[in-house]
Amino acid sequence: MIRKISSYIILLIFIFPIFFLITSSFKNNIDLFALPPKLFFFDIDFSAYERVFGFSNFFKFDPSYSELFLTSRIIDSLIIGLGSSSLTLIIGIYAGYYISRVNFKFKRYLIISILSARMMPLVSIAIPIYFVYEKINLLDTYIGIIFVHTFINLPLAVLLLKSFFDEVPKQIDENAYIDGASKIKILHKLVVPCAKSGIAVTFILSLIFSWTEFICALMIGQMNVKTIPVQASILKTIPSWDMMAAFTTISIIPVFILILMVKKHFVRGLTLGTVKE
Amino acid sequence: MSSQKSYSLPSFMNSDSSLPWLLPLITMLIVFAIIPFFYNIYLSFHEFVPAKRALLFVGWDNWIRLFTDGVFWGSLKVSLYYTFMCLLIQLVLGMGIALLIDSDDPGFGIIRSILTLTLVIPPAIAGMIFLIMEDANYGLIPWLLKSIGLIGPEDTILSDPTLALWGVMIVDIWQWTPFMVLILVAGLRSLPSEPFESAVIDGARPFQVFRRLTLPMLHKVIAVAVLIRGIDLWRMVDYVFVLTSGGPGTATYTLSLYSWQRFTFVQWGYGATISLFSLIVILIVGNAFIHFAKVKW
Repeated sequence: MIRKISSYIILLIFIFPIFFLITSSFKNNIDLFALPPKLFFFDIDFSAYERVFGFSNFFKFDPSYSELFLTSRIIDSLIIGLGSSSLTLIIGIYAGYYISRVNFKFKRYLIISILSARMMPLVSIAIPIYFVYEKINLLDTYIGIIFVHTFINLPLAVLLLKSFFDEVPKQIDENAYIDGASKIKILHKLVVPCAKSGIAVTFILSLIFSWTEFICALMIGQMNVKTIPVQASILKTIPSWDMMAAFTTISIIPVFILILMVKKHFVRGLTLGTVKE
Repeated sequence: MSSQKSYSLPSFMNSDSSLPWLLPLITMLIVFAIIPFFYNIYLSFHEFVPAKRALLFVGWDNWIRLFTDGVFWGSLKVSLYYTFMCLLIQLVLGMGIALLIDSDDPGFGIIRSILTLTLVIPPAIAGMIFLIMEDANYGLIPWLLKSIGLIGPEDTILSDPTLALWGVMIVDIWQWTPFMVLILVAGLRSLPSEPFESAVIDGARPFQVFRRLTLPMLHKVIAVAVLIRGIDLWRMVDYVFVLTSGGPGTATYTLSLYSWQRFTFVQWGYGATISLFSLIVILIVGNAFIHFAKVKW
Protein backbone atom coordinates (compact mmCIF):
# COMPACT_ATOMS: atom_id res chain seq x y z
CA MET A 1 0.00 0.00 0.00
CA ILE A 2 2.79 2.40 0.94
CA ARG A 3 4.49 1.29 -2.23
CA LYS A 4 1.45 2.13 -4.28
CA ILE A 5 0.97 5.53 -2.71
CA SER A 6 4.61 6.51 -3.17
CA SER A 7 4.49 5.34 -6.79
CA TYR A 8 1.50 7.55 -7.43
CA ILE A 9 3.23 10.50 -5.77
CA ILE A 10 6.23 10.02 -8.06
CA LEU A 11 3.89 9.78 -11.03
CA LEU A 12 2.25 13.06 -10.00
CA ILE A 13 5.64 14.77 -9.92
CA PHE A 14 6.37 13.57 -13.43
CA ILE A 15 3.05 14.57 -14.93
CA PHE A 16 2.80 17.86 -13.06
CA PRO A 17 4.63 19.96 -15.72
CA ILE A 18 2.26 18.61 -18.39
CA PHE A 19 -0.75 19.37 -16.21
CA PHE A 20 0.64 22.83 -15.46
CA LEU A 21 1.17 23.51 -19.16
CA ILE A 22 -2.33 22.47 -20.17
CA THR A 23 -4.01 24.47 -17.41
CA SER A 24 -1.82 27.50 -18.23
CA SER A 25 -3.12 27.52 -21.77
CA PHE A 26 -6.65 28.12 -20.45
CA LYS A 27 -5.74 30.86 -18.00
CA ASN A 28 -6.22 34.55 -18.55
CA ASN A 29 -3.33 36.93 -18.18
CA ILE A 30 -3.98 37.61 -14.49
CA ASP A 31 -4.23 34.01 -13.33
CA LEU A 32 -1.24 33.07 -15.46
CA PHE A 33 1.12 35.20 -13.38
CA ALA A 34 -0.46 34.49 -10.02
CA LEU A 35 1.87 33.27 -7.27
CA PRO A 36 1.13 30.89 -5.62
CA PRO A 37 -0.09 29.44 -8.93
CA LYS A 38 -3.78 28.82 -9.43
CA LEU A 39 -3.77 25.14 -10.24
CA PHE A 40 -7.44 24.27 -10.16
CA PHE A 41 -9.61 27.33 -9.71
CA PHE A 42 -9.26 29.89 -12.45
CA ASP A 43 -11.48 31.44 -15.11
CA ILE A 44 -11.31 29.42 -18.28
CA ASP A 45 -10.21 31.53 -21.23
CA PHE A 46 -9.82 30.32 -24.81
CA SER A 47 -8.30 33.47 -26.24
CA ALA A 48 -4.81 31.98 -26.47
CA TYR A 49 -6.12 29.23 -28.76
CA GLU A 50 -7.86 31.79 -30.94
CA ARG A 51 -4.58 33.60 -31.31
CA VAL A 52 -2.37 30.60 -32.10
CA PHE A 53 -4.80 29.49 -34.78
CA GLY A 54 -5.05 33.02 -36.14
CA PHE A 55 -8.77 33.45 -35.45
CA SER A 56 -8.27 36.55 -33.38
CA ASN A 57 -8.34 40.06 -34.78
CA PHE A 58 -5.27 40.83 -32.74
CA PHE A 59 -2.76 39.83 -35.42
CA LYS A 60 -4.98 39.94 -38.45
CA PHE A 61 -3.59 43.13 -39.94
CA ASP A 62 0.03 42.29 -39.41
CA PRO A 63 1.17 39.76 -42.01
CA SER A 64 4.48 39.16 -40.26
CA TYR A 65 2.60 37.26 -37.57
CA SER A 66 0.85 34.96 -39.98
CA GLU A 67 3.80 32.54 -39.86
CA LEU A 68 3.05 32.03 -36.19
CA PHE A 69 -0.19 30.32 -36.89
CA LEU A 70 -0.18 26.80 -35.72
CA THR A 71 -2.21 25.27 -38.54
CA SER A 72 0.48 25.71 -41.16
CA ARG A 73 3.16 24.48 -38.70
CA ILE A 74 1.13 21.33 -38.04
CA ILE A 75 0.82 20.79 -41.79
CA ASP A 76 4.60 21.21 -42.21
CA SER A 77 5.33 18.80 -39.38
CA LEU A 78 2.83 16.27 -40.74
CA ILE A 79 4.18 16.38 -44.29
CA ILE A 80 7.73 15.94 -43.04
CA GLY A 81 6.79 13.31 -40.46
CA LEU A 82 4.65 11.17 -42.76
CA GLY A 83 7.06 11.55 -45.67
CA SER A 84 10.14 10.64 -43.70
CA SER A 85 8.56 7.74 -41.82
CA SER A 86 7.26 6.25 -45.05
CA LEU A 87 10.68 6.50 -46.65
CA THR A 88 12.30 5.14 -43.49
CA LEU A 89 9.93 2.20 -43.51
CA ILE A 90 10.55 1.32 -47.17
CA ILE A 91 14.34 1.37 -46.71
CA GLY A 92 14.14 -0.25 -43.29
CA ILE A 93 11.96 -3.21 -44.29
CA TYR A 94 14.32 -4.42 -47.02
CA ALA A 95 17.50 -3.79 -45.07
CA GLY A 96 16.05 -5.13 -41.81
CA TYR A 97 14.81 -8.30 -43.47
CA TYR A 98 18.13 -8.91 -45.18
CA ILE A 99 20.12 -8.35 -42.00
CA SER A 100 17.73 -10.60 -40.09
CA ARG A 101 17.83 -13.52 -42.51
CA VAL A 102 21.19 -13.58 -44.23
CA ASN A 103 24.68 -13.94 -42.82
CA PHE A 104 26.87 -11.89 -45.07
CA LYS A 105 30.52 -11.04 -44.73
CA PHE A 106 30.36 -7.44 -43.61
CA LYS A 107 27.20 -7.75 -41.50
CA ARG A 108 29.00 -6.92 -38.25
CA TYR A 109 30.52 -3.80 -39.81
CA LEU A 110 27.18 -2.76 -41.23
CA ILE A 111 25.59 -2.95 -37.78
CA ILE A 112 28.49 -0.99 -36.30
CA SER A 113 28.02 1.66 -38.99
CA ILE A 114 24.31 1.84 -38.28
CA LEU A 115 24.99 2.32 -34.57
CA SER A 116 27.70 4.87 -35.31
CA ALA A 117 25.19 6.79 -37.44
CA ARG A 118 22.91 6.81 -34.39
CA MET A 119 25.74 8.36 -32.34
CA MET A 120 26.49 11.30 -34.62
CA PRO A 121 25.79 14.66 -33.03
CA LEU A 122 23.07 16.16 -35.19
CA VAL A 123 24.96 19.44 -35.49
CA SER A 124 27.84 17.62 -37.17
CA ILE A 125 25.41 16.31 -39.79
CA ALA A 126 23.50 19.55 -40.17
CA ILE A 127 26.45 21.83 -40.95
CA PRO A 128 27.79 19.86 -43.96
CA ILE A 129 24.29 19.05 -45.16
CA TYR A 130 23.51 22.76 -45.09
CA PHE A 131 26.27 23.43 -47.63
CA VAL A 132 25.39 20.46 -49.79
CA TYR A 133 21.72 21.45 -49.80
CA GLU A 134 22.65 25.02 -50.62
CA LYS A 135 24.37 23.79 -53.77
CA ILE A 136 21.52 21.55 -54.91
CA ASN A 137 18.73 23.92 -53.84
CA LEU A 138 17.22 21.70 -51.18
CA LEU A 139 17.39 24.27 -48.38
CA ASP A 140 14.00 25.26 -47.04
CA THR A 141 12.18 22.43 -48.79
CA TYR A 142 10.09 19.58 -47.43
CA ILE A 143 12.07 16.97 -49.29
CA GLY A 144 15.34 18.20 -47.78
CA ILE A 145 14.15 17.78 -44.22
CA ILE A 146 12.40 14.52 -45.11
CA PHE A 147 15.73 13.04 -46.23
CA VAL A 148 17.57 14.15 -43.10
CA HIS A 149 14.84 12.83 -40.81
CA THR A 150 14.86 9.57 -42.74
CA PHE A 151 18.56 9.25 -42.06
CA ILE A 152 18.07 10.09 -38.38
CA ASN A 153 15.34 7.45 -38.00
CA LEU A 154 17.00 4.73 -40.08
CA PRO A 155 19.13 3.18 -37.28
CA LEU A 156 16.02 2.81 -35.15
CA ALA A 157 13.93 1.46 -38.02
CA VAL A 158 16.47 -1.03 -39.38
CA LEU A 159 17.43 -2.52 -36.02
CA LEU A 160 13.87 -2.55 -34.69
CA LEU A 161 12.48 -4.15 -37.83
CA LYS A 162 15.32 -6.67 -37.76
CA SER A 163 14.30 -7.65 -34.24
CA PHE A 164 10.66 -8.02 -35.33
CA PHE A 165 11.66 -10.08 -38.39
CA ASP A 166 13.82 -12.27 -36.14
CA GLU A 167 10.60 -13.30 -34.42
CA VAL A 168 8.99 -14.52 -37.63
CA PRO A 169 9.99 -18.18 -37.87
CA LYS A 170 12.44 -18.75 -40.70
CA GLN A 171 10.58 -22.00 -41.38
CA ILE A 172 8.01 -19.89 -43.24
CA ASP A 173 10.69 -18.59 -45.59
CA GLU A 174 12.15 -22.01 -46.22
CA ASN A 175 8.83 -23.68 -46.99
CA ALA A 176 7.87 -20.92 -49.39
CA TYR A 177 11.25 -21.12 -51.06
CA ILE A 178 10.85 -24.83 -51.62
CA ASP A 179 7.48 -24.07 -53.23
CA GLY A 180 9.33 -21.83 -55.66
CA ALA A 181 8.70 -18.33 -54.33
CA SER A 182 11.37 -15.69 -54.81
CA LYS A 183 12.93 -13.98 -51.82
CA ILE A 184 11.24 -10.68 -52.57
CA LYS A 185 7.87 -12.41 -52.87
CA ILE A 186 8.42 -14.20 -49.57
CA LEU A 187 9.06 -10.86 -47.88
CA HIS A 188 6.05 -9.13 -49.46
CA LYS A 189 3.48 -11.91 -49.17
CA LEU A 190 4.55 -13.76 -46.02
CA VAL A 191 6.97 -11.98 -43.74
CA VAL A 192 5.52 -8.47 -43.92
CA PRO A 193 1.99 -9.65 -43.01
CA CYS A 194 3.44 -11.68 -40.11
CA ALA A 195 5.34 -8.68 -38.78
CA LYS A 196 2.75 -6.04 -39.57
CA SER A 197 2.27 -4.91 -35.97
CA GLY A 198 6.03 -4.44 -35.69
CA ILE A 199 6.03 -2.44 -38.91
CA ALA A 200 3.22 -0.24 -37.63
CA VAL A 201 5.16 0.35 -34.41
CA THR A 202 8.27 1.33 -36.37
CA PHE A 203 6.25 3.73 -38.50
CA ILE A 204 4.68 5.42 -35.48
CA LEU A 205 7.99 5.72 -33.63
CA SER A 206 9.65 7.25 -36.69
CA LEU A 207 6.77 9.68 -36.94
CA ILE A 208 7.18 10.66 -33.29
CA PHE A 209 10.93 11.17 -33.56
CA SER A 210 10.53 13.21 -36.72
CA TRP A 211 7.89 15.31 -34.95
CA THR A 212 10.26 15.98 -32.05
CA GLU A 213 13.53 16.58 -33.98
CA PHE A 214 14.77 20.12 -33.65
CA ILE A 215 18.25 21.16 -34.72
CA CYS A 216 18.28 19.78 -38.29
CA ALA A 217 14.82 21.12 -38.98
CA LEU A 218 15.97 24.48 -37.65
CA MET A 219 19.01 24.64 -39.90
CA ILE A 220 17.44 23.36 -43.11
CA GLY A 221 14.00 24.93 -42.83
CA GLN A 222 14.50 28.66 -43.17
CA MET A 223 11.46 30.73 -44.04
CA ASN A 224 8.76 28.55 -45.52
CA VAL A 225 9.23 25.21 -43.82
CA LYS A 226 9.14 25.22 -40.04
CA THR A 227 8.31 22.23 -37.93
CA ILE A 228 6.58 22.61 -34.59
CA PRO A 229 9.69 22.54 -32.33
CA VAL A 230 11.36 25.15 -34.53
CA GLN A 231 8.32 27.40 -34.31
CA ALA A 232 8.28 26.89 -30.55
CA SER A 233 11.84 28.14 -30.26
CA ILE A 234 10.84 31.25 -32.19
CA LEU A 235 7.72 31.79 -30.09
CA LYS A 236 10.06 32.15 -27.13
CA THR A 237 10.99 35.60 -28.40
CA ILE A 238 7.38 36.76 -28.21
CA PRO A 239 6.83 36.59 -24.48
CA SER A 240 3.21 35.60 -24.37
CA TRP A 241 2.86 32.72 -21.96
CA ASP A 242 -0.69 31.79 -22.77
CA MET A 243 0.17 31.53 -26.46
CA MET A 244 3.26 29.50 -25.68
CA ALA A 245 1.20 27.18 -23.51
CA ALA A 246 -1.60 26.82 -26.06
CA PHE A 247 0.88 26.19 -28.86
CA THR A 248 2.76 23.54 -26.93
CA THR A 249 -0.41 21.88 -25.64
CA ILE A 250 -1.74 21.38 -29.14
CA SER A 251 1.61 20.18 -30.42
CA ILE A 252 2.05 17.44 -27.83
CA ILE A 253 -1.45 15.98 -27.95
CA PRO A 254 -0.94 14.14 -31.27
CA VAL A 255 2.21 12.43 -29.99
CA PHE A 256 0.44 11.46 -26.75
CA ILE A 257 -2.25 9.71 -28.76
CA LEU A 258 0.33 8.00 -30.97
CA ILE A 259 2.43 6.78 -28.07
CA LEU A 260 -0.49 5.32 -26.18
CA MET A 261 -1.20 3.26 -29.31
CA VAL A 262 2.25 1.67 -29.26
CA LYS A 263 3.12 1.79 -25.56
CA LYS A 264 3.64 -1.97 -25.42
CA HIS A 265 6.54 -1.77 -27.85
CA PHE A 266 7.87 1.60 -26.85
CA VAL A 267 10.73 0.28 -24.70
CA ARG A 268 11.76 -1.98 -27.53
CA GLY A 269 11.86 1.01 -29.85
CA LEU A 270 13.85 3.14 -27.43
CA THR A 271 16.50 0.44 -27.06
CA LEU A 272 16.66 -0.19 -30.84
CA GLY A 273 15.09 -3.61 -30.52
CA THR A 274 17.23 -5.09 -27.77
CA VAL A 275 15.01 -4.95 -24.67
CA LYS A 276 11.58 -6.52 -24.98
CA GLU A 277 8.69 -5.92 -22.67
CA MET B 1 17.49 -8.53 -23.37
CA SER B 2 17.01 -10.94 -26.21
CA SER B 3 19.87 -13.18 -26.89
CA GLN B 4 20.08 -12.80 -30.60
CA LYS B 5 19.73 -16.11 -32.34
CA SER B 6 22.04 -16.27 -35.27
CA TYR B 7 19.90 -17.31 -38.19
CA SER B 8 21.87 -18.92 -40.90
CA LEU B 9 19.68 -19.81 -43.79
CA PRO B 10 20.80 -22.47 -46.22
CA SER B 11 23.11 -21.38 -48.99
CA PHE B 12 20.28 -20.88 -51.47
CA MET B 13 19.47 -17.63 -49.72
CA ASN B 14 23.03 -16.44 -49.38
CA SER B 15 23.76 -16.86 -53.04
CA ASP B 16 21.65 -13.85 -54.05
CA SER B 17 23.30 -10.50 -54.36
CA SER B 18 22.93 -8.41 -51.23
CA LEU B 19 23.15 -5.18 -53.13
CA PRO B 20 19.51 -4.47 -54.01
CA TRP B 21 18.42 -5.11 -50.41
CA LEU B 22 20.97 -2.95 -48.72
CA LEU B 23 21.62 -0.36 -51.41
CA PRO B 24 19.11 2.28 -50.18
CA LEU B 25 20.40 1.96 -46.61
CA ILE B 26 24.04 2.15 -47.64
CA THR B 27 23.31 5.11 -49.92
CA MET B 28 21.70 6.96 -47.01
CA LEU B 29 24.66 6.13 -44.75
CA ILE B 30 27.12 7.38 -47.35
CA VAL B 31 25.22 10.56 -48.18
CA PHE B 32 24.31 11.59 -44.64
CA ALA B 33 27.13 10.10 -42.54
CA ILE B 34 30.28 9.49 -44.59
CA ILE B 35 30.06 12.60 -46.78
CA PRO B 36 29.29 14.92 -43.83
CA PHE B 37 32.17 13.35 -41.92
CA PHE B 38 34.69 14.10 -44.67
CA TYR B 39 33.08 17.46 -45.41
CA ASN B 40 33.59 18.33 -41.74
CA ILE B 41 37.24 17.39 -42.06
CA TYR B 42 37.49 19.56 -45.18
CA LEU B 43 35.78 22.48 -43.43
CA SER B 44 38.00 22.16 -40.38
CA PHE B 45 40.98 23.14 -42.55
CA HIS B 46 39.14 26.05 -44.14
CA GLU B 47 37.53 29.21 -42.91
CA PHE B 48 35.16 31.73 -44.38
CA VAL B 49 36.92 35.03 -44.89
CA PRO B 50 34.33 37.81 -44.98
CA ALA B 51 36.64 40.30 -46.73
CA LYS B 52 37.09 37.93 -49.67
CA ARG B 53 33.64 36.32 -49.38
CA ALA B 54 35.22 32.94 -49.82
CA LEU B 55 36.14 29.78 -47.98
CA LEU B 56 39.95 29.75 -47.81
CA PHE B 57 42.44 27.10 -46.76
CA VAL B 58 43.86 27.92 -43.34
CA GLY B 59 45.85 24.78 -42.49
CA TRP B 60 45.80 23.79 -38.84
CA ASP B 61 44.56 27.20 -37.65
CA ASN B 62 41.12 25.96 -36.60
CA TRP B 63 42.61 23.08 -34.62
CA ILE B 64 45.15 25.34 -32.92
CA ARG B 65 42.37 27.77 -32.12
CA LEU B 66 40.27 24.88 -30.77
CA PHE B 67 42.89 23.84 -28.23
CA THR B 68 43.64 27.39 -27.10
CA ASP B 69 40.02 28.54 -26.93
CA GLY B 70 38.80 28.93 -23.35
CA VAL B 71 35.16 28.87 -24.42
CA PHE B 72 35.73 25.52 -26.13
CA TRP B 73 37.26 24.00 -22.98
CA GLY B 74 34.40 25.48 -20.99
CA SER B 75 31.82 23.92 -23.31
CA LEU B 76 33.66 20.59 -23.22
CA LYS B 77 33.50 20.72 -19.43
CA VAL B 78 29.78 21.57 -19.55
CA SER B 79 29.11 18.72 -21.98
CA LEU B 80 31.02 16.22 -19.83
CA TYR B 81 29.44 17.42 -16.59
CA TYR B 82 25.98 17.47 -18.12
CA THR B 83 26.35 13.99 -19.62
CA PHE B 84 27.78 12.32 -16.52
CA MET B 85 25.61 14.01 -13.91
CA CYS B 86 22.38 13.48 -15.83
CA LEU B 87 23.30 9.90 -16.62
CA LEU B 88 24.11 9.14 -13.00
CA ILE B 89 21.02 10.84 -11.58
CA GLN B 90 18.73 9.30 -14.17
CA LEU B 91 20.19 5.85 -13.65
CA VAL B 92 19.94 5.95 -9.85
CA LEU B 93 16.49 7.55 -9.81
CA GLY B 94 15.35 5.30 -12.61
CA MET B 95 16.53 2.17 -10.82
CA GLY B 96 14.82 3.26 -7.61
CA ILE B 97 11.52 3.97 -9.31
CA ALA B 98 11.80 0.82 -11.42
CA LEU B 99 12.21 -1.34 -8.30
CA LEU B 100 9.24 0.46 -6.78
CA ILE B 101 6.83 -0.10 -9.66
CA ASP B 102 8.01 -3.56 -10.71
CA SER B 103 4.79 -5.38 -9.89
CA ASP B 104 2.00 -7.35 -11.55
CA ASP B 105 -0.65 -5.13 -10.04
CA PRO B 106 -2.64 -3.43 -12.86
CA GLY B 107 -2.31 -0.07 -11.09
CA PHE B 108 1.42 -0.16 -11.77
CA GLY B 109 0.76 -0.90 -15.43
CA ILE B 110 -1.14 2.37 -15.68
CA ILE B 111 1.79 4.17 -14.07
CA ARG B 112 4.11 2.70 -16.68
CA SER B 113 1.96 3.82 -19.58
CA ILE B 114 1.53 7.34 -18.21
CA LEU B 115 5.28 7.62 -17.70
CA THR B 116 5.80 7.17 -21.45
CA LEU B 117 4.14 10.55 -22.03
CA THR B 118 7.10 12.69 -20.98
CA LEU B 119 9.36 10.86 -23.43
CA VAL B 120 7.51 11.90 -26.57
CA ILE B 121 7.30 15.61 -25.85
CA PRO B 122 9.62 17.37 -28.31
CA PRO B 123 12.64 18.43 -26.22
CA ALA B 124 12.35 21.99 -27.50
CA ILE B 125 8.76 22.04 -26.23
CA ALA B 126 9.79 20.53 -22.88
CA GLY B 127 12.26 23.38 -22.69
CA MET B 128 9.40 25.83 -23.24
CA ILE B 129 7.38 24.30 -20.41
CA PHE B 130 10.29 24.78 -18.03
CA LEU B 131 10.99 28.24 -19.44
CA ILE B 132 7.60 29.22 -18.07
CA MET B 133 8.11 27.31 -14.84
CA GLU B 134 11.60 28.70 -14.19
CA ASP B 135 10.85 32.33 -15.07
CA ALA B 136 12.69 34.69 -12.73
CA ASN B 137 9.65 36.75 -11.76
CA TYR B 138 6.57 34.60 -12.15
CA GLY B 139 7.96 31.09 -12.41
CA LEU B 140 6.74 28.32 -10.18
CA ILE B 141 10.10 26.73 -9.40
CA PRO B 142 11.98 29.86 -8.23
CA TRP B 143 8.92 30.79 -6.16
CA LEU B 144 8.89 27.35 -4.56
CA LEU B 145 12.63 27.41 -3.87
CA LYS B 146 12.35 30.90 -2.41
CA SER B 147 9.48 30.02 -0.13
CA ILE B 148 11.36 27.06 1.34
CA GLY B 149 14.47 29.21 1.57
CA LEU B 150 16.81 27.29 -0.73
CA ILE B 151 17.64 30.39 -2.76
CA GLY B 152 17.60 34.03 -1.71
CA PRO B 153 14.72 36.37 -2.61
CA GLU B 154 16.71 38.10 -5.35
CA ASP B 155 18.18 34.93 -6.90
CA THR B 156 17.19 33.57 -10.28
CA ILE B 157 17.82 30.22 -11.86
CA LEU B 158 18.40 30.60 -15.58
CA SER B 159 20.39 33.82 -15.40
CA ASP B 160 22.61 32.68 -12.55
CA PRO B 161 25.97 31.30 -13.79
CA THR B 162 26.11 28.49 -11.21
CA LEU B 163 22.44 27.52 -11.23
CA ALA B 164 21.69 27.88 -14.95
CA LEU B 165 23.16 24.51 -15.90
CA TRP B 166 21.10 22.82 -13.22
CA GLY B 167 18.08 24.69 -14.51
CA VAL B 168 18.70 22.95 -17.83
CA MET B 169 19.57 19.60 -16.29
CA ILE B 170 16.33 19.49 -14.34
CA VAL B 171 14.42 19.43 -17.65
CA ASP B 172 16.53 16.56 -18.92
CA ILE B 173 16.12 14.67 -15.66
CA TRP B 174 12.38 15.26 -15.68
CA GLN B 175 11.94 14.20 -19.27
CA TRP B 176 14.31 11.24 -19.44
CA THR B 177 14.24 9.55 -16.03
CA PRO B 178 11.10 7.69 -17.24
CA PHE B 179 13.26 6.39 -20.10
CA MET B 180 15.49 4.62 -17.57
CA VAL B 181 12.48 3.55 -15.51
CA LEU B 182 10.69 1.94 -18.45
CA ILE B 183 13.76 0.12 -19.74
CA LEU B 184 14.79 -1.11 -16.29
CA VAL B 185 11.24 -2.20 -15.44
CA ALA B 186 11.12 -4.13 -18.71
CA GLY B 187 14.41 -5.75 -17.71
CA LEU B 188 13.23 -6.52 -14.19
CA ARG B 189 9.97 -8.00 -15.48
CA SER B 190 11.86 -10.40 -17.71
CA LEU B 191 14.06 -11.82 -14.92
CA PRO B 192 13.27 -15.37 -13.76
CA SER B 193 11.79 -15.53 -10.26
CA GLU B 194 13.48 -18.73 -9.00
CA PRO B 195 16.87 -17.26 -7.99
CA PHE B 196 15.09 -14.54 -6.03
CA GLU B 197 12.84 -17.02 -4.23
CA SER B 198 15.75 -19.20 -3.20
CA ALA B 199 17.74 -16.15 -2.07
CA VAL B 200 14.87 -15.12 0.20
CA ILE B 201 14.67 -18.66 1.60
CA ASP B 202 18.44 -18.53 2.27
CA GLY B 203 17.81 -15.39 4.29
CA ALA B 204 19.47 -12.80 2.03
CA ARG B 205 18.75 -9.18 2.87
CA PRO B 206 17.02 -7.06 0.16
CA PHE B 207 20.19 -5.05 -0.51
CA GLN B 208 22.26 -8.22 -0.91
CA VAL B 209 19.68 -9.60 -3.33
CA PHE B 210 19.86 -6.38 -5.32
CA ARG B 211 23.67 -6.32 -5.45
CA ARG B 212 24.36 -10.01 -5.98
CA LEU B 213 21.38 -10.99 -8.12
CA THR B 214 19.46 -8.11 -9.67
CA LEU B 215 22.40 -5.99 -10.82
CA PRO B 216 24.42 -8.78 -12.46
CA MET B 217 21.34 -10.19 -14.17
CA LEU B 218 20.34 -6.76 -15.42
CA HIS B 219 23.75 -5.64 -16.60
CA LYS B 220 22.96 -5.96 -20.30
CA VAL B 221 19.77 -3.95 -20.02
CA ILE B 222 21.59 -1.30 -18.00
CA ALA B 223 24.37 -1.19 -20.59
CA VAL B 224 21.93 -0.55 -23.44
CA ALA B 225 20.09 2.12 -21.47
CA VAL B 226 23.34 3.87 -20.51
CA LEU B 227 24.64 3.70 -24.08
CA ILE B 228 21.58 5.22 -25.71
CA ARG B 229 21.01 7.81 -23.01
CA GLY B 230 24.70 8.73 -23.01
CA ILE B 231 24.68 9.30 -26.77
CA ASP B 232 21.64 11.54 -26.57
CA LEU B 233 22.97 13.47 -23.58
CA TRP B 234 26.26 14.13 -25.34
CA ARG B 235 24.59 15.54 -28.43
CA MET B 236 21.84 17.42 -26.58
CA VAL B 237 21.25 20.91 -27.91
CA ASP B 238 17.50 21.56 -27.74
CA TYR B 239 17.20 22.38 -24.04
CA VAL B 240 20.08 24.85 -23.84
CA PHE B 241 18.96 26.43 -27.10
CA VAL B 242 15.46 27.13 -25.80
CA LEU B 243 16.21 27.78 -22.12
CA THR B 244 19.44 29.76 -21.99
CA SER B 245 20.92 29.95 -25.51
CA GLY B 246 24.21 29.18 -23.81
CA GLY B 247 24.01 31.98 -21.29
CA PRO B 248 24.51 33.63 -18.93
CA GLY B 249 27.79 34.45 -20.65
CA THR B 250 29.09 31.08 -21.78
CA ALA B 251 28.01 29.15 -18.68
CA THR B 252 25.74 26.66 -20.46
CA TYR B 253 27.43 26.22 -23.83
CA THR B 254 27.56 22.56 -24.72
CA LEU B 255 29.80 21.42 -27.56
CA SER B 256 26.86 21.10 -29.94
CA LEU B 257 25.46 24.50 -29.06
CA TYR B 258 28.85 26.20 -29.31
CA SER B 259 29.43 24.62 -32.69
CA TRP B 260 26.00 25.70 -33.89
CA GLN B 261 26.56 29.20 -32.56
CA ARG B 262 29.95 29.55 -34.34
CA PHE B 263 28.22 28.36 -37.48
CA THR B 264 25.59 31.11 -37.26
CA PHE B 265 28.39 33.63 -36.72
CA VAL B 266 29.70 32.57 -40.15
CA GLN B 267 32.76 30.89 -38.63
CA TRP B 268 31.88 27.81 -40.63
CA GLY B 269 35.28 26.18 -40.44
CA TYR B 270 35.61 26.59 -36.71
CA GLY B 271 32.03 25.45 -36.08
CA ALA B 272 32.71 22.32 -38.14
CA THR B 273 35.94 21.71 -36.18
CA ILE B 274 34.05 21.75 -32.88
CA SER B 275 31.32 19.43 -34.16
CA LEU B 276 33.95 17.12 -35.64
CA PHE B 277 35.70 16.93 -32.27
CA SER B 278 32.46 16.05 -30.53
CA LEU B 279 31.68 13.48 -33.24
CA ILE B 280 35.06 11.76 -32.94
CA VAL B 281 34.78 11.61 -29.14
CA ILE B 282 31.36 9.96 -29.20
CA LEU B 283 32.32 7.52 -31.97
CA ILE B 284 35.35 6.30 -30.01
CA VAL B 285 33.67 6.22 -26.61
CA GLY B 286 30.42 4.76 -27.93
CA ASN B 287 32.02 1.98 -29.93
CA ALA B 288 34.43 1.16 -27.08
CA PHE B 289 31.44 0.96 -24.74
CA ILE B 290 29.60 -1.38 -27.12
CA HIS B 291 32.73 -3.54 -27.32
CA PHE B 292 33.58 -3.71 -23.61
CA ALA B 293 30.04 -3.86 -22.25
CA LYS B 294 29.35 -6.60 -24.83
CA VAL B 295 26.15 -5.01 -26.07
CA LYS B 296 24.81 -7.20 -28.86
CA TRP B 297 22.50 -6.39 -31.72
